[in-house]
Amino acid sequence: MSFPVKGEHLHKKFKNQIVLSDVSLTLQEGEIYGLIGPSGAGKTTLVRILLGLEKADSGKIELFEQRPTLNAFRSLGYMAQSDALYSELSAYQNLSFFASIQGLHGKAKKSRILEVAKAVELDKDLKKSVAQFSGGMKRRLSLAAALIHQPRLYLLDEPTVGLDPLIRKKLWTLFHYLKEKGATIIVTTHVMDEVAQCSRVGLLSEGKIIAEGAPKALMQRYHVSSVEDIFIAVEKEGAKK
Amino acid sequence: MRNLFAMARRIISQIVRDKRTLALLIIAPLLILTLVWYIFGAKTSEPNLAIIHYDSSDYMSAFAKNDYKRMTPLQARQALADKKIDAYVDLKNPVKVHLEGSDPQRNGLAMSKIQESMQTMQTITVTALKDELTDVIKAQQKDMQAQQQMIAQMAKAMQIYAPGALAQITQNAPKAEQPDSPHKQEKVTLDVSYLHANDDLNTFDAFGPAMVGIFVFLFIFMIGGVSFLRERTTGTLDRLMASPMKNYQIIWGYMIGFGLFVIVQSFLLTCYIVYVLQIYNVGHLLDVLIIVFILSFSALSLSILLSTFASNELQMFQFIPLVIVPQVFLSGLFPIDTLPGWVQAIGNLMPIHYSTEALRNIMIRGSGFSGWWLDGLILILFSAVFITINILVIRRQRPLTS
Ligand SMILES: Nc1ncnc2c1ncn2[C@@H]1O[C@H](COP(=O)(O)OP(=O)(O)OP(=O)(O)O)[C@@H](O)[C@H]1O
Ligand SMILES: [Mg+2]
Repeated sequence: MSFPVKGEHLHKKFKNQIVLSDVSLTLQEGEIYGLIGPSGAGKTTLVRILLGLEKADSGKIELFEQRPTLNAFRSLGYMAQSDALYSELSAYQNLSFFASIQGLHGKAKKSRILEVAKAVELDKDLKKSVAQFSGGMKRRLSLAAALIHQPRLYLLDEPTVGLDPLIRKKLWTLFHYLKEKGATIIVTTHVMDEVAQCSRVGLLSEGKIIAEGAPKALMQRYHVSSVEDIFIAVEKEGAKK
Repeated sequence: MRNLFAMARRIISQIVRDKRTLALLIIAPLLILTLVWYIFGAKTSEPNLAIIHYDSSDYMSAFAKNDYKRMTPLQARQALADKKIDAYVDLKNPVKVHLEGSDPQRNGLAMSKIQESMQTMQTITVTALKDELTDVIKAQQKDMQAQQQMIAQMAKAMQIYAPGALAQITQNAPKAEQPDSPHKQEKVTLDVSYLHANDDLNTFDAFGPAMVGIFVFLFIFMIGGVSFLRERTTGTLDRLMASPMKNYQIIWGYMIGFGLFVIVQSFLLTCYIVYVLQIYNVGHLLDVLIIVFILSFSALSLSILLSTFASNELQMFQFIPLVIVPQVFLSGLFPIDTLPGWVQAIGNLMPIHYSTEALRNIMIRGSGFSGWWLDGLILILFSAVFITINILVIRRQRPLTS
């Protein structure tokens, strides 16, 4: 078993605000890890630190069991919370650019673009300029850009926000498919029925991972029937101490 | 290399698809330069002038019919009051000038034109005097010739009757002096010569080199800066940083992608001002192009650098009064020799200062490589410094891999 992502004792402060305090997180190969927690809990910050887009004040990060190098980014697909697309360009041009900087060229690139576009159901809108896309379409294109180079590790920051239930379901089928093929996925989400589909979840609250484990096991441990109740249960437990 | 190419190609398609940006980059500088050209460059119109009492005057020939209308005193006074003419000259002795007087600029124009004519008038006077003098001299010469003839006849007679005595006389006699060749035309007018250029150089021609620098710099700065800023605010820069792209590839990709437009823009702009606006240029077009190009590069690298300190477009534009306006004033549009040392020192930190210097050398003084290489080098150094800092900034934002 290998660990595509390992973060140990991560601390992060923005000015005076402590955003992460002593967070450790290890992902196992071939799992979908759900990072859940209220807004402002530090999910995005944690993902960005794991990627090296933000510097942790202290702590250690390994990607694919090594100190991160540029090469690690070849096997890594990142979808940010904002869409991060070039709105002047067409969907195809966007995907083409992101494919190019990942080293895809020529026919391989072209067929791969069509493939991911189909996977997110945008194959009919490839010619459209992104400026004319709806919010959900942008979200899906952003996901497609993260998939384009077939990475082994995905870091998806709220990938399904603003999508209708049907497409949301389809995307989760896609995540499971990627997982079956051996990819590791870390997803941040607010949606609780998505949480149930994760292999493991980590509950982030006020900069700490307060609980971690398979969703079912967690619910049993805290004697609750839904994942959001875990937060309340943990809080109560903390109050008792 | 492929990454660089991909970056450049993407930026090019972005600009090409965004027609507004394209227009702002290419057409706006041309429009503004044209406007400036009309303001500063318009050949100043000729003053409307008239003369009166010209019939009896010897000087009439100094006041050409094209420049001076012939009027009666009454007409002239009326025309002056109606502002139909700016001034009239009364040729009765002594010569008098009557100016309309309400517009200093037109006064100046009228006066300089009249003074020009007065110089011709002086020449006429002097020539007339000389002619008189020549007549006197000629009369004297005639007398002298008669005397000489007499002497010659006497000499002949002596040759026959007393040759010995004659030899002695010719030896002692002073040689008859040849009279000076009559009157070389003396010049009364001031002969002005220019080390560089000539008196056709108008304000725009002198401002031109600085203007070119300012507008190229301004537009590249705005568009380059906003474009890189957007990369930051939309998060696409994060995507680039979470890819195997190297730091220098991100920055150089930008420089190259914009570089293409910079080439096109420099080319169009330079050709436009040289061939369409016909700004004074004795240098090589290629030299001008090279400088404009180097300058744009420094504008682009500076704008990328400053976009780091802005968090939205408005903040980016707030740099304009800080970065562009001082450059306008210290770039050489206005003389800065008399300013305090620290202001001059700031001027030396401004890219446009060097481009203006280089472009003046090329366009007005006609220097080649030797006239601009130093300024060009300094501009390249500016870019090199800015680019290096940009790469370091990106590096700092990717803490894991640096
Ligand atoms: N660049 C920044 N500068 C200052 N504070 C920041 C910055 N980025 C995030 N924060 C703060 O850090 C905290 C965590 O932010 P983060 O974006 O990680 O939350 P999140 O869990 O992703 O929330 P959400 O579910 O709303 O996306 C917030 O309180 C936020 O105000
Ligand atoms: Mg977030």
